[in-house]
Amino acid sequence: MSQLIGRRLLSLVFVIFSITFLTFIVGYLAPGDPILVMMGPRRDPVLYASLRHQYGLDLPWFQQYFNYVGGLLHGDLGVSYRYQGRSVNDILGNGVGVSIFLGMMALVLSLLIGIPTGILASLRQNSWFDRTSMITMLALFSIPTFVMIPILRAFNYFVLYKNGLPSLPPAGWGTPAHWVMPVIVLAAVNMGYMARLTRSSMLETLQQDYIRTAHAKGLPQRQVVTVHALRNALLPIVTVIGPSLAFVVTGSFVVESLFAIPGVGFIGVQAIGQRDYPVIQGTTVVLAVAVVLMNLVTDILYTVLDPRIKAAG
Amino acid sequence: MSWRRFTPLAVLLMLGLLLAACTAPAPTSGQAGASAQPAAASATGGNQKLIWSVEGVNELPGLDPANPQNAQSIQAINLIFGGLVKLDAQLNVVPDGAEKWEVSEDGKTYTFTIREGLKFADGTPVTAGDFAASINRALQPETASYGAAFQLGHVVGAADVAAGTTKEASGVEVIDDRTLKITTDDNVPYFLAQLTYPVTFVVPFQAIEKDGAAWTEKAFGTGPFQVKEWQHNQKLILEPNPNYWAGTPGVAEVELPFFADSETAYQLYRTDGLDIMGSQQNPIPSARVPEVKDSPEFKTVASFAVRYVGFNNKLAPFDSVDVRRAFAMAVDKETLANAVLNGAVGATDRILPPAFAGSQLPIQGLAFDPAAAKAELVKAGYTADNPFPQVTFTYGAEGDNERVATFLQQQWKENLGVDVVLQPLELATFSKSMDTTYLTPADGLQFYLSIWGADYPDPQNFVSQQLRSDSPNNNGHFENADFDKLAKEADTFIGTAEDRLKLYNQAEQIAVDNVGWLPLYVPQFSVLIKPYVQGIVPTGQGLVIPDWTVVTGRSSQ
Repeated sequence: MSQLIGRRLLSLVFVIFSITFLTFIVGYLAPGDPILVMMGPRRDPVLYASLRHQYGLDLPWFQQYFNYVGGLLHGDLGVSYRYQGRSVNDILGNGVGVSIFLGMMALVLSLLIGIPTGILASLRQNSWFDRTSMITMLALFSIPTFVMIPILRAFNYFVLYKNGLPSLPPAGWGTPAHWVMPVIVLAAVNMGYMARLTRSSMLETLQQDYIRTAHAKGLPQRQVVTVHALRNALLPIVTVIGPSLAFVVTGSFVVESLFAIPGVGFIGVQAIGQRDYPVIQGTTVVLAVAVVLMNLVTDILYTVLDPRIKAAG
Repeated sequence: MSWRRFTPLAVLLMLGLLLAACTAPAPTSGQAGASAQPAAASATGGNQKLIWSVEGVNELPGLDPANPQNAQSIQAINLIFGGLVKLDAQLNVVPDGAEKWEVSEDGKTYTFTIREGLKFADGTPVTAGDFAASINRALQPETASYGAAFQLGHVVGAADVAAGTTKEASGVEVIDDRTLKITTDDNVPYFLAQLTYPVTFVVPFQAIEKDGAAWTEKAFGTGPFQVKEWQHNQKLILEPNPNYWAGTPGVAEVELPFFADSETAYQLYRTDGLDIMGSQQNPIPSARVPEVKDSPEFKTVASFAVRYVGFNNKLAPFDSVDVRRAFAMAVDKETLANAVLNGAVGATDRILPPAFAGSQLPIQGLAFDPAAAKAELVKAGYTADNPFPQVTFTYGAEGDNERVATFLQQQWKENLGVDVVLQPLELATFSKSMDTTYLTPADGLQFYLSIWGADYPDPQNFVSQQLRSDSPNNNGHFENADFDKLAKEADTFIGTAEDRLKLYNQAEQIAVDNVGWLPLYVPQFSVLIKPYVQGIVPTGQGLVIPDWTVVTGRSSQ
């Protein structure tokens, strides 16, 4: 186990270097220029040269990259081009916390509803419950967030607010009331996917020989499902949750900008349009770390769930 | 009963809850940094508060007036800081930190008398030296200001400071604690209007020295308010400046929440979460305008901006004035404004926007006339034997540009019979290609969709700034000797304001006849203001608050 962990953490270093290098090169070669973006329609060659110098953008590319890596090794992700004087650590730090919180709540909700629904549907295959629940889950999975949000908002406004009933704030962050709509929207998509995945995985597991043996032994259905089938059926779910947990770190661009939530999703995407390279780099580093760590956690979980899988690393 | 069967679900749930708990949002408080800012007096201005949304961003890039990066920052900066002069509701230059000023005979020397007893919010007295130091700071390259070198470009010595060869501009002279003398390189009639821009605002050096780059977290100056708390990515909360020279503001708190999406701001407005929404750069969503335009809370005024088609005058085929005139006369702007853009804009045939200084003198525009347009094309030498080549029309992919470009393409096809290929570009790429068009026209765009908004209410900012052949903003390199002569004369004119405006008018007419721009439309500046809010005036330049003492807001109970 410790070998696995050790090897993975070593690969993390390698992954971060490759990712920052790739992002840096792509950013360097891509058209567009952060100084021009900031200067807007003004043109002043003297100013342009001076600003490029201030931001270190007139250095040769390998030196720029070297400086960046030097800072990275000290845990310093640099200073944003866009947000005056604010370090990337600061910008991402607050945002990542909020995004993770929102993402985790949504993930937990989607699991709490999705998995039991999937299990029940698989046990009552082709019943009315199975059919209707799977259609609902497919719908939830297919409706884009930017469609669901106006629907929820319209409901909130016309049904609740206009009739004087207690309603939710349409946007913002700070109180539990602000969590409700964003969490529902984020959970909906995942829920649909989890339910369908659980159902198909359970169906496949229930076909296995050992299940037939369990039935033959006279075990009650409940015990067959929970003791024997569930753990195996959940393996694909665990596979999926790993990366989902990692991508929670980047937040959801749509949900965060439409609900005015101070998460990192909007910042990350906006940084691309503004060519705010330190923030773009910082976001990719954070995401890379999250993905590698979550993959590690997933692999460890596998060994817990299924002793046949050895922690071979 | 074995509990092991619960292991998988339990592990997943625990993991989830654990991570959620560990990363629960920290209490949203501002930076707890040592700061030179005083505690605000409690409940001055009654118990009223104003919630004024900032749209289009989810965070202000900064609050340093020396480097106002976008209009949203300026919105906040104008509440916190003050300079020598400001604009009133009619957009005239009126005193702010300077109580009076004198201009020399040749128009090149301005002597300002700083207000007696002017103080920063922390009680430190403000001297002429502070104003001078603030201007120099804005120009110095270390401050990395994007706008200072342009806005202060007429101050003698400004270029040297910006280049880094000296720390102080020779044209900024401190005579004594209350007298500041600024010398310009030429007679610049619009210089005072340029001083209303944030780069000239006075900054508290005592705070900058103490807190370094973090001084803006608790920014304060000589404006009506100071920062109480800056909740990053969420909102900025302001409290009154106890030492504001113009009297205590009528509201005890101003909250500026940030909304990346205007529709979200609108939702909050209609559930009474906001008092003011809408701005020049981020207007009320056009889909919502029909449902609010009959409400008394809806205020609309033509903004000081013009959307236009620009041409690369150095590259065929648009180097020919006849071709440009043909293209100009082939566009039905009324249909564009009313049908395509649902009346949210006003069609225009001239360079200056309506109600702008100088626009009271009329211009004869190029009317929509397909027959005449075709004749111009023939005059340029394009006939059936020599057909007009295919050309590429470039625009930035944002807002309504796609619709406008598609309409224009169809108009030119229908009314002129020419093939136009559309090229939408991502914004940063578009600004890069505009830059290339200026620097190396041979590699640049052929023609493009652009917009120009006023920096200050003076015709120089439109007519000369955009179309003089030596202007750095003349992306398309429009060049006309008669126009240049008139524009240069008007820019440094010594005489009556009426005569000066007449010169601009003549220059504008030449620019319109020779299609320096193909003006399309003027966007409307529309805001929603709750009825209990008084003292806020919508103008073409944005919302102006001439007197903070009469402003009212919502009860903060």
